[in-house]
Amino acid sequence: MNDRMDRRWKRFLGVPRSALGSLVILFIALAAVFLLSFLLSKTPARTLRYFFIGPLQNTYYLGNMLNTSIPLIFGALGVSLAMRAGSFNLGGEGQLYGGAFIATVSAVAMAGWGIAGVICAIVLGAVTGGVMAAFSGYLRMKWQTNELITTFLLSNAVSLVVGYLIAGPFMDPTTNLIATRKIPESFRFSRILEPSNLSSALVMALVMTVVVHLYLYRTKSGYELRMYGLNPRFARYGGINSGSYLVLPMFLSGALYGLGGAMAIFGTYYACMKDFSVGMGWNALAVALIARFRPVAIIPAALFFAYIESGARNAMLHSDVTFEIASIVQSVVFFLVTSSVLQRIGTKRGRG
Amino acid sequence: MNALLHSAVAIMTPLLLAAMGGLFTELSGMLNIALEGLMLMGAFSSIVFTYLSGSMIWGVLLGIVATMLLATLLAVVTLNLKSNVFITGLATNLLASGLTIVLSFRLFGNKGVVVFDRIGSLPRWDIPLVSDIPVLGAMISGHSPFVYLSWVLLALSSWVLYKTPFGLRLRAAGLHEKTLVSLGLSPSAYRFIAFLVSAFACAIAGAVLTLNLGAFVPNITSGKGWIALVVIFLGQKKPLGLLGASLVFGFADAFSNYAQGAWNVPADFILAIPYLFTLLAMVIVSIHADWKERIKR
Amino acid sequence: MSDTAVTMHDIVKTYRETGRCANDHVDLTVGRGEILCLTGENGAGKTTLMKVLYGMEKPESGTIAVMGKRVKIDSPLDANRLGIGMVHQHFMLVDEYTVAQNVILGREPMHNRFTIDADAAKRLVDEVIHAHGFSIDPSARVGSLTVGQKQQVEIVKMLYRDVDILILDEPTAVLTEQETASLFETLRTLRDTGKSLILITHKLHEIKAISDRVAIMRQGRMVGQFETASVDERELAGLMMGKSFSPAIEKTPYGRKQETVLRFAQVSVVRRNQGRPMLKDVSFVARTGEILGFAGVGGNGLGELESVLAGTLPISGGTITHRGKDISKSDAHRLRECGLAYVPSDRLKVGSALEASVSENLIIAARKRFSRHGMMRGKHIMQHARTLIDTYSVQGTADMPIGTLSGGNIQKVILAREIAQYRDYIVFSEPTWGLDIASSKFVHTQMIALRDAGASVLLLSSNLDEILSLSDRVLIFSRGSIVAELEGERLHTVTKEEMGAYMLGMHVREAAHE
Repeated sequence: MNDRMDRRWKRFLGVPRSALGSLVILFIALAAVFLLSFLLSKTPARTLRYFFIGPLQNTYYLGNMLNTSIPLIFGALGVSLAMRAGSFNLGGEGQLYGGAFIATVSAVAMAGWGIAGVICAIVLGAVTGGVMAAFSGYLRMKWQTNELITTFLLSNAVSLVVGYLIAGPFMDPTTNLIATRKIPESFRFSRILEPSNLSSALVMALVMTVVVHLYLYRTKSGYELRMYGLNPRFARYGGINSGSYLVLPMFLSGALYGLGGAMAIFGTYYACMKDFSVGMGWNALAVALIARFRPVAIIPAALFFAYIESGARNAMLHSDVTFEIASIVQSVVFFLVTSSVLQRIGTKRGRG
Repeated sequence: MNALLHSAVAIMTPLLLAAMGGLFTELSGMLNIALEGLMLMGAFSSIVFTYLSGSMIWGVLLGIVATMLLATLLAVVTLNLKSNVFITGLATNLLASGLTIVLSFRLFGNKGVVVFDRIGSLPRWDIPLVSDIPVLGAMISGHSPFVYLSWVLLALSSWVLYKTPFGLRLRAAGLHEKTLVSLGLSPSAYRFIAFLVSAFACAIAGAVLTLNLGAFVPNITSGKGWIALVVIFLGQKKPLGLLGASLVFGFADAFSNYAQGAWNVPADFILAIPYLFTLLAMVIVSIHADWKERIKR
Repeated sequence: MSDTAVTMHDIVKTYRETGRCANDHVDLTVGRGEILCLTGENGAGKTTLMKVLYGMEKPESGTIAVMGKRVKIDSPLDANRLGIGMVHQHFMLVDEYTVAQNVILGREPMHNRFTIDADAAKRLVDEVIHAHGFSIDPSARVGSLTVGQKQQVEIVKMLYRDVDILILDEPTAVLTEQETASLFETLRTLRDTGKSLILITHKLHEIKAISDRVAIMRQGRMVGQFETASVDERELAGLMMGKSFSPAIEKTPYGRKQETVLRFAQVSVVRRNQGRPMLKDVSFVARTGEILGFAGVGGNGLGELESVLAGTLPISGGTITHRGKDISKSDAHRLRECGLAYVPSDRLKVGSALEASVSENLIIAARKRFSRHGMMRGKHIMQHARTLIDTYSVQGTADMPIGTLSGGNIQKVILAREIAQYRDYIVFSEPTWGLDIASSKFVHTQMIALRDAGASVLLLSSNLDEILSLSDRVLIFSRGSIVAELEGERLHTVTKEEMGAYMLGMHVREAAHE
């Protein structure tokens, strides 16, 4: 099964994407928004206005939209790192949630440590996600266990256990929310676009994008990782130690998800609420796919996704549709984004 | 104990049905992760159509049609537009989850649990003679018609896969695609039909969930489609294997429900068990396969 | 009814991907009840022509007539209906199915409207098997059969479809000599029952042995069609290769003192569940300043030798030393550190990462040299790439994905990479397979230059002309062992027929050297 998939992925990575093909997909996605508005809303014009203009109309909405994109950027960077090495990390949901939880409880525990506490808590969150993903990488290295399924299963199990821990032993008794205690105020990231939720974590996301880009394209390890991902036999032929590239990229991938979770806590939520991150892992995967696993392209792709979500949220608040139309539009993008037929639109007919 | 076995069989039924559908796509050479979404679509549409038509039979039939429409979209995009089957599968899941909620909001003004009290409950069939056998009787008698339907369908799919030209060619598409091409047959055509078959089975699997409950709960399938996929692997891609593997899952689930009540174990913990159990099973299967591979060398 | 079974006229087929014209206005006729050998070098367009006839490739223009009637063949189903069958070089069989299931696939005998009649299937297949004197069990699983038996299944599959015209694509490439002999026996029987057979092959002695007529292709064109009896092997070889190929390559004797670089002592590779060892007691030394040729028919150990040299196949016995250092247990990673330079036979799957750029492909084994403190030195890499691209006149740029280059240029990149980083020995496996004559010549010149510069060159090739014209010493493999070693005067006088005899294991090792 893995072989079959690897081939398809490689084709997906290798074919240069035509701008026209992307425009066609974008157009179809927008057409879906129109269609849904006319079908589902009694006031389609109002719905459309809030959907498209809403997220941009003032700093509050704009900031929230940018804020939505932060965990997506971290997660998508994680997916891309694993994918570049030829592994698939499907456990983003759990890695993000688990990372956020560990970062929160350690921040609460290390309240008196000052800046060292912030760093320790974030690192612990990242390591949590990393270890979860690396475990699947290890299983694949050792016994060729399909990492696609093991990451998913482990992530689901961990999500449920974390849910139990939040609702049980770690619940904050002083509030009515099902959530942990809040992290100390001094640990929280500053807001950079009041009154919105946007925090300085955005800067971290941008920095991390550059770091991942440099790692992949400028370091020896990144080069080896990419060559292993493109053709494991070629990598082995060239003397690249292959086993480590099944585990290391998975660790880094999970760590980025965990980091994304920690960032969401330190920048936005301050406490780990039960199921606060549902959907973030999947959306990050979609973002990575649209960006075709290229770090630099992840930023616009994440913004696009955040825009659709914010648009749907706005339309829900001010009109008569429900938020879930966002997932319908996102699914349209998902359906089309890997089509090799659409990708060839406008390109010279050539090898595929 | 008897109650436990009885509920194990009840719980395994949607898993068995979805896995059976997934078996067709899997054997045709497509990793179909859309089982989850197809099941969800079936769950929603069959209870809504039952509610609208007033008949469970019509409800389920129309639910199957709706689910097959979704599968057609999946198949066209995957096979004709040549998209990655994994991503289109995810898209199907995302679409089903969004669409069911959007429609439920539009139709019933409610995004949460929608209770349909008008539709009544599923009949329970007691099987004469069998119900008198100790243990076994309690286990297999007194279920809803869906449970027995799933067994009939299992036998039917086994026959289709192993006794008919369609089955022989479908499996060849998955085992060695080029063989079919060299004989002038189209693997895509068989895969297309496999997607439709999996939609058919998943629709019934979904119907079992909602009609049993008499209500639609958002994302009611809660990972059952994924577990069905694992059932296929654990069942060694054989119909009888599916029966065994889904029974094991049904039992594990039934046991954890029981444990929850009896020992006051937290619900989330219990819900995690099937996933961990599946993970363990996957690892064991792959160690075994790896070991066999080594022996060969 | 006419005497010709098939007439192909003016067939043109260009591959869109590469723009290469595989069939350039080709004509071919096949008589009824005759065996025709279709021959030519790799890439001459033989297989393409047959795929056109079998409906697997669509030609741009040209006509086909079967049994005198103009026909249109759009799919293998059409071909089967017209009585044309094809046995592919790579078997089109489902290993998990039984012989009978494989044979009936797509034309199943029915019990009723829905169910396959499994008994009838077995009976019908058994009838075909017996009618033609095959020795396979219809209920055996294909995966458990030998290569020769699998080929029989392929033939039975076509006979079950009542074909009168049977195409076989390089049927002997993977067969042992006994299997080949019995295949030829079968083919003659089939001919005598009136069937027409087309064999794709480039083995000269086979053409002489089996065919009534021979058709020769070169670079997409039909060179000519002859009665086999009217041409001898030398003429055939000349027609296949064309005039421009000169087997004699100028070589000067190596002046300096030769040192031993690589030593194999009693190296064996055994795989469980396989009676015969894949390599058995292989011993040789490779020295500086010589090209050591390894010759052998496919399946006789050269492939395994390549994997052993590359460090991807662990040996079960014996020792390998490199300048006195034991490297028997070294994997690819360690061998690269010892200075392995290696041009693999599978350039696309092993030798390159098609989606990566030319410059990235050029540094795979030398990546340490192009990085400092873990960072890649982009400028150095680009400079290195540009220099090599110029030196080897590669048609392409440093940042193009290597997969967009032509086959010959990909091979040049691989060659450039390995030559640039070789230290004392370099392995070439099938270095000119599928290359045109100009590219082949380029590769050969490079090898001679390496040898003259004092490299120890190991050349593994199934192309006898290449082996004979380049090597200073030749080791011949048969059934996993070295059966002969030729050098000096003996190497100049040996004929291809004698080489063939060695390779088929008809002589034992005579000149033990060392």
